[in-house]
Amino acid sequence: MTASRPTKKAQLIAPDAYPQMMSRADGARALLSLRSDKTLARAQGAMEAAAAPMKLAILGYVADMEANCQDMDLVFDHVHEIRGFAETAGMASTGHIAEILCRYMEDMRRIAKPLDAHIVALHVAAIARAARAEDGDAAMGEVVAAELGALVARRLLEAQKG
Amino acid sequence: MSVTGFESLRALIVEDNAHMRSLLRALLNSAGVKEISEAGHGGTALQAMRERKADLVLCDLAMKPMDGLEFTRQVRNSDTSPNPFVPIIMITGHTEKHRVEAARDAGVTEILAKPITATHLFARIAEIVERPRAFVRSDNYFGPDRRRHVDENYAGPWRRQDDTDDTEVREVR
Repeated sequence: MTASRPTKKAQLIAPDAYPQMMSRADGARALLSLRSDKTLARAQGAMEAAAAPMKLAILGYVADMEANCQDMDLVFDHVHEIRGFAETAGMASTGHIAEILCRYMEDMRRIAKPLDAHIVALHVAAIARAARAEDGDAAMGEVVAAELGALVARRLLEAQKG
Repeated sequence: MSVTGFESLRALIVEDNAHMRSLLRALLNSAGVKEISEAGHGGTALQAMRERKADLVLCDLAMKPMDGLEFTRQVRNSDTSPNPFVPIIMITGHTEKHRVEAARDAGVTEILAKPITATHLFARIAEIVERPRAFVRSDNYFGPDRRRHVDENYAGPWRRQDDTDDTEVREVR
């Protein structure tokens, strides 16, 4: 079946009028599978197995950012990736600081203001420290994330006013 | 005989990060999905869909050169789209309102926020299976019905504010 051509009248195409992802019988089995403890246990195992390589990847991004801190495009790309899977890698604090830097860089771009290299460098250093910290330092990472968040909020406000 | 219901499902993962691709593949595998293909951005994903049918797409938002929004628009609206109705789960770390609205208006079926969890991914897939959405075709949109809940007792005008004045609904079955 192909989608019908554009028309001035909006069409509402009911679910039974277009091909579904799977048959009703398979759908019923799929729902049971998705909600079974066995499936969730397997999935949890997959998440745990993914954590170690993800952590290594994040440490690689961190080293790259530290070496190329002036390259804002590189920092943005890496920090975006770190934000995406730091928590899955068991590095929640690192992810939170990356999230703050991401938002700062996105918001400054959106209002067409130049990035403050010192702010970026400060975040990169904090991300590096959090990423390399042992689990016991997670609380400190959260404190740093909160302080950086407040700093960025102030800077964004100033940039918007200016 | 199908055991998990997913044996014959063909999934496509569109994600520029190899680690995320690997994780998504493992999660789909754990639910019983066996036929999984991968693409690194929207452009290669479109090509992959033309070569091999996809029943379900998991797609990252931020990719280069073609991001997830443009990919979704192409899937929904291109004359050469292999399956304009395919369910697309958009995976994104960008959960700001304007980003979510942009994804919705591009025609995504579900949005999954990063960091992803198995529970959340499976819930999105279950939603597609359990409550498939009607599709809407109008002059400026083709995709899943953006109204999640239909109020049977709603007495006001049915049109969205940004719909054109001459838009009317007719149901196709």
